[in-house]
Amino acid sequence: MAEPVVNLKRYLLTRNLIIGWVTCVLLAAFLLNIPKINILEHTARNLYFHVPMWFTMMAAVFVSAYHSFKVLKTGDLVEDIRALQAARVGAFFGVLGLLTGIVWSKFTWYVGTDIWWNMDPRQYMVSLQLLIYGAYFVLRSALDDPRKRSRIAAVYNLFAATTTPFLLYVIPRQMESLHPGAEGNPAFSEITDPLMRLVFYPAIIGFIGIFWIVYTQRVRISLLKYRVTQDSEM
Amino acid sequence: MPHMNSQIIQDSLATDQAASTVSTAFDSLWAGGDIPTQSLSRMEQVMLADDKIFVVLAVVLIIWAGIVVLLLRNDKRLRDVERSVEERIPDPEDEL
Repeated sequence: MAEPVVNLKRYLLTRNLIIGWVTCVLLAAFLLNIPKINILEHTARNLYFHVPMWFTMMAAVFVSAYHSFKVLKTGDLVEDIRALQAARVGAFFGVLGLLTGIVWSKFTWYVGTDIWWNMDPRQYMVSLQLLIYGAYFVLRSALDDPRKRSRIAAVYNLFAATTTPFLLYVIPRQMESLHPGAEGNPAFSEITDPLMRLVFYPAIIGFIGIFWIVYTQRVRISLLKYRVTQDSEM
Repeated sequence: MPHMNSQIIQDSLATDQAASTVSTAFDSLWAGGDIPTQSLSRMEQVMLADDKIFVVLAVVLIIWAGIVVLLLRNDKRLRDVERSVEERIPDPEDEL
């Protein structure tokens, strides 16, 4: 039998490590004292949860683009499955990031207003980003031949991945925004307590780990679907 | 057992109030009336500290435990299905 697509032993070991890691991050996120800042108060802890959603989406975009690149290089359909599932789970984390940002801003800077959705450039650019990935999923559903679909989708996905850093990081920094590092705002590194960074960076790793667990599960399901129905799309 | 004691005290108080007012025993407990404020138990002291942040931690940990159980069960089911598919369906000729 050929080398299995997912190395189960390695998967289970990594999965258990990630679960333990995230549990420690959650404990630290609530137990460590943080500086009390006006407006933010305890919601500053959202740094550990809201921001890693975006790092996770960005990581998913990289994984997806990497496998799309390999589709074009090798024509391997397993790479196509990986590219699609990474993009799907990544988009899911993007939606979580949007929703958590809406809740966070409503009860801090927008208290006393009816604002849930403001002209924040990051909100708009990220929505645009999610639409670009929505088009990727729609494009796939429009093509029936798996080989042709894998190549056309890979080309589009590489385009989508290229726009991501500009929409998420470059454009929002040129405009006024609630987010650190935007026009006129101090950068993240200038305003964040060192203790909070001690939790923040591990939290990013933890959430990317959760992405990896779900992504791997979905790849396995997709492979099963292919074996039973000769069609891996899901 | 302190917990049982407080239950008995609250029950008897509720009965007293129900007799003296029109409100039900259930209401009287929530009206913030003369609920006996015995000293906080050790667990309550911990959970109420620091603006009750530990209550949120407890809730988040319960949710996380639930998600972990879900992920592990998914993996187990997935493994079962993979085994039965490998047994019944031969490798597709077109190597994926």
